[in-house]
Amino acid sequence: MTRGWLYRLPLPALLAASALAADGAAAPAADPGKAVAFYLVAAVTVGSALGCAIATNIVRMAMCLLGTLGGVALLYFLMSATFLGVIQLIVYAGGTLIVIVFGVMLTSRAYGVKLRPRPVEVLAALVVCGALLVGLVAVLLRTDWPAAPAGGAAEGTVAALGGSLLSVYLVPFELASVLLLAVMIGAAYLAQPALPTAGDGAGPEE
Amino acid sequence: MSPIETYLVTGVLIPLAGFVLLAFLGGRLGKPAAGWVAVLAIAASCGLSAKALWDWTHLDAAGRLAARTGPYEWARLGDTVLTVGVNLDSLTIIMFFMVTLISTCIFVFSVGYMAGHSDEIDHVSKYHRFFTYLCLFDFSMLLLVIADSLLLLFISWELVGLCSYLLIGYYFHKKSASTAAMKAFITNRVGDLGFIIGLGLVFVHLHDLSLAGAAAKFRDAWAAGSPLFDPAAGLLGLSPATWMGMLLFCGAIGKSAQFPLHVWLPDAMEGPTPVSALIHAATMVAAGVYLTARIFVLLTPEAQLFVAVIGCITLTLAALVAIVQTDIKKVLAYSTISQLGYMMLGMGVGAWIAALFHLLTHAFFKALMFLGSGQVIEGCHHEQDMRKMGGLWRKMPVTCATFLVGVLAIAGAGIPAAHIGLGGYFSKDEILAVAWHRAYGREDHGAAQSHGSVAQANGLWRMGKGPTAPEVSVADIDQFIPASWAQPPGEHASESGGAAHHRPVADATPREETHPGAAQAGHARAPGPRWLWIALFVVPVIMAYVTPFYMMRAWWLTFMGRPRDHHVYDHAHESPLMYLPLVVLAIGTFVSSYFLFRPLVAEGAVQMSTAPFLTMLYDGEAATAEHAHGVPIDHAAHRALVPAVGFAFVIGFVLAIAIYGRGLALATKLAAALRPLHTLLEHKFYFDELYGVVLVGGVAALRAVSYGFDKYVVDGLVNLSGLLTRVASWFSGVILDQGLVDGLVNGVGRVTYALGGLVRRPQVGRVRNYILFAAGSVAVVVLWAAFGRVK
Amino acid sequence: MLTIGLTHYLVLAAALLCCGLYVMTTKRNAVGILIGAELVLNAAALNLVAFARYGAGGLDGQVATLFVIVLAAAEAAIAIAIFVNYYRVLATIDADRGDTLKG
Repeated sequence: MTRGWLYRLPLPALLAASALAADGAAAPAADPGKAVAFYLVAAVTVGSALGCAIATNIVRMAMCLLGTLGGVALLYFLMSATFLGVIQLIVYAGGTLIVIVFGVMLTSRAYGVKLRPRPVEVLAALVVCGALLVGLVAVLLRTDWPAAPAGGAAEGTVAALGGSLLSVYLVPFELASVLLLAVMIGAAYLAQPALPTAGDGAGPEE
Repeated sequence: MSPIETYLVTGVLIPLAGFVLLAFLGGRLGKPAAGWVAVLAIAASCGLSAKALWDWTHLDAAGRLAARTGPYEWARLGDTVLTVGVNLDSLTIIMFFMVTLISTCIFVFSVGYMAGHSDEIDHVSKYHRFFTYLCLFDFSMLLLVIADSLLLLFISWELVGLCSYLLIGYYFHKKSASTAAMKAFITNRVGDLGFIIGLGLVFVHLHDLSLAGAAAKFRDAWAAGSPLFDPAAGLLGLSPATWMGMLLFCGAIGKSAQFPLHVWLPDAMEGPTPVSALIHAATMVAAGVYLTARIFVLLTPEAQLFVAVIGCITLTLAALVAIVQTDIKKVLAYSTISQLGYMMLGMGVGAWIAALFHLLTHAFFKALMFLGSGQVIEGCHHEQDMRKMGGLWRKMPVTCATFLVGVLAIAGAGIPAAHIGLGGYFSKDEILAVAWHRAYGREDHGAAQSHGSVAQANGLWRMGKGPTAPEVSVADIDQFIPASWAQPPGEHASESGGAAHHRPVADATPREETHPGAAQAGHARAPGPRWLWIALFVVPVIMAYVTPFYMMRAWWLTFMGRPRDHHVYDHAHESPLMYLPLVVLAIGTFVSSYFLFRPLVAEGAVQMSTAPFLTMLYDGEAATAEHAHGVPIDHAAHRALVPAVGFAFVIGFVLAIAIYGRGLALATKLAAALRPLHTLLEHKFYFDELYGVVLVGGVAALRAVSYGFDKYVVDGLVNLSGLLTRVASWFSGVILDQGLVDGLVNGVGRVTYALGGLVRRPQVGRVRNYILFAAGSVAVVVLWAAFGRVK
Repeated sequence: MLTIGLTHYLVLAAALLCCGLYVMTTKRNAVGILIGAELVLNAAALNLVAFARYGAGGLDGQVATLFVIVLAAAEAAIAIAIFVNYYRVLATIDADRGDTLKG
């Protein structure tokens, strides 16, 4: 059977949701338009995530991931975290996903070999994930969450975020830059062709 | 920053610049040039530190306070402010000077040492790497010395560990060297785990990682009767504060090679000999003692006792093992461990000043001896076995003489009546004197009045009184002492027993009234039984006889007697580039015993004014400080101590020469006569084997047990149930419908088999299974949170 | 139901988390596992932003999410580099074959 609809579904839905979200962002909390927008985007997000779970083709999984990432970005917009939404789209959907797709292309030369899990594993995973979901949702619904502060939360503007990044969160910020540098070097090192001198121990020894 | 701080910070940064330069351009600089760049860097650093020392000694008390400008805010974590700054006090200045001076000598020596070494691997020279690492090492060590916060200290601490790994494994193509490097690194990690947990405790309980800030908060917490000091709030009957101190000390256990983490240091002799001198004698292992000195204000009496006991065990084990070692570097390694044990013992019993003084003198003479052994090894074509040496004094007169200076210094040689002595004569004996006091001293003997005259008559504390008095009088310390110290101690008469511990600051201040001691009842007692304190004195004294024995043995076997291996003997030679540093260090050994070093360390004790648990800050010179602490030292008894250890070195030397004077024949007979003991010592008390069995074997056994459980119990159950159902089906098949029952039985069998397979699956090392188990565990917790709780 | 509150977002995030876990545990392709991890990370990030929006923590949650995105990018880069190496060594991308370290 074909699951082509799975990865064709997200794109038009994304477009529709984004149009709605643009309206909904400015509306008050009880606005039905915003609720509809949320449910639509949520459907897209969870739908794509489920698509990820169901798909067996790795390329389809990547496409479904795009749907989820986009959906999450729209959710950020809905929560008036505009800067984060933009960053999510640029870095995640634009950068990380491309990296993943490259990874797929570099490692999937062995066509025809299907890597399928054993049914037992699928069953166990379903049970565990289902139980976790049930537990989480039960906890969430039973918890008495404090009400949102009056007047809504602060707008996630670039200025506000930048200000807190360079004051309160300076250390993590610097750490993150160091980490990124390390990652660049590490990734370049890991992916380089094996040195001819390192012949011993580099081979696939069992 | 004040000029002195600028000198120090620049002195730290120059080796870093050297490191960067060598790391990028070292390969192009080539063989001798790269080494000289490193020498230049450290020499500049040494010059700056000399200038800082000079300026410092010419400042008055107010000027010194003004010279310290920090701390500066570095970053904020929540509401905790992290600061950086130069921990500018006398101890920092003198440590900085010691490290740079010894490093300079060692770097120069290294240029000579490495000249004769082949250093190509796969046709790529790694000569410059050696000096690159050396520069990085010095940078880390100097940063550690000037760090004024535990966080900065920890960072440099780890850097030092990294450098030791790189340098020990310099000959990484040799299996033994790379293994030794890993052993050093991993053993240090074990200690650092404790250190970082202790750091976390400091952060959680005191909210301040700067040394001064943490000490102040610690004192305030004590004054406020915080639960931090309540044994009931901690584990195993020890208060959280005690645990904090002990865990912080764990870092020092690793780095200073204390029992039970001492096993890495002898193996670390796989590195080039200058590295052994730099890391394993003068600086890196000193870092542990330095750390202990810095965190001393955070140690409760129980934690101090822990430090002392660890030090005592270490010095005993190491001294005994050193007797039978035949590798010249291993003898030195074990003697290093033993001396570090003395320092830790000194820290633990409260001889803060003496321990640090011993650290400084030891740094000189141990670097001297290591470089001497490097000269010997280099000259003898990489022969390290002392049994094949002998008679080398003809070939290496300078090395022989300077090595003898080191031997005399470590043995504590001196003439008690004339206050002439070397290194250990002053520093080690002072540690022992304080240990004596903790074991036998009393508070009520009223020695305060007689103190001055007795001290005059006593050989131990003469230094600085004679014509060699330093520029800076230790009496300056008065100006730093807070008013609370100067008050006479309160209710010492109420405390009984010689080893009773004091809380001088708390005793002498009105804080005592604000919380009348209910919570402190548990702290007022002396930790540990009396016999333990006596052992902490007696055992080190006995070992003070062993030290001269094994050092003289090493010296005699190497340089004296007749040559035992003519191949080695004919080859022996010495080169000026290598023996010049030896001469400098020998002079340093003399100088450090008399001038400058001890007074400056004593001034460094000023920081102790905030410690609530200051048990004893023994200083024979600064009488005021001593009395303010309410611990009058029984000087009359210390005169008795001089005959006890004052001639230990003579006895040790005579014994060594008696046994080894005529070669190895007598020693071999002795070894045969004492076969079990000799074997025990030769195997270093079987610590490596023990760890091999307990740790490696433990993991293997755990694996075997779980595998066995899997194979026999789980599989057995599965098989058994399968068997039982089969038997049952065979029986019931006769009576019931064959097909139905068979199907059921097969079904059950299959399910149980699959279950068995499921249980076995965790062993196969697949990532996804681990994720599944992790998720499953979380699911269980979440489900419990959702449904399991009683509402 | 028409007033969207904190719970809605949290439930959505929980669903994303479970999808991600399912993907991580059932896909044998290593890149698939990475995709699952990305889903889990997104779920966490969504939680943080929702708490920032409906809680009293101000912008802290959004900053944390920013770090999550950065870390996820770093993680993906390193993971892909490892997988490329893995593929080069084992000539497969099957994560189950990577069990040579087992005792």
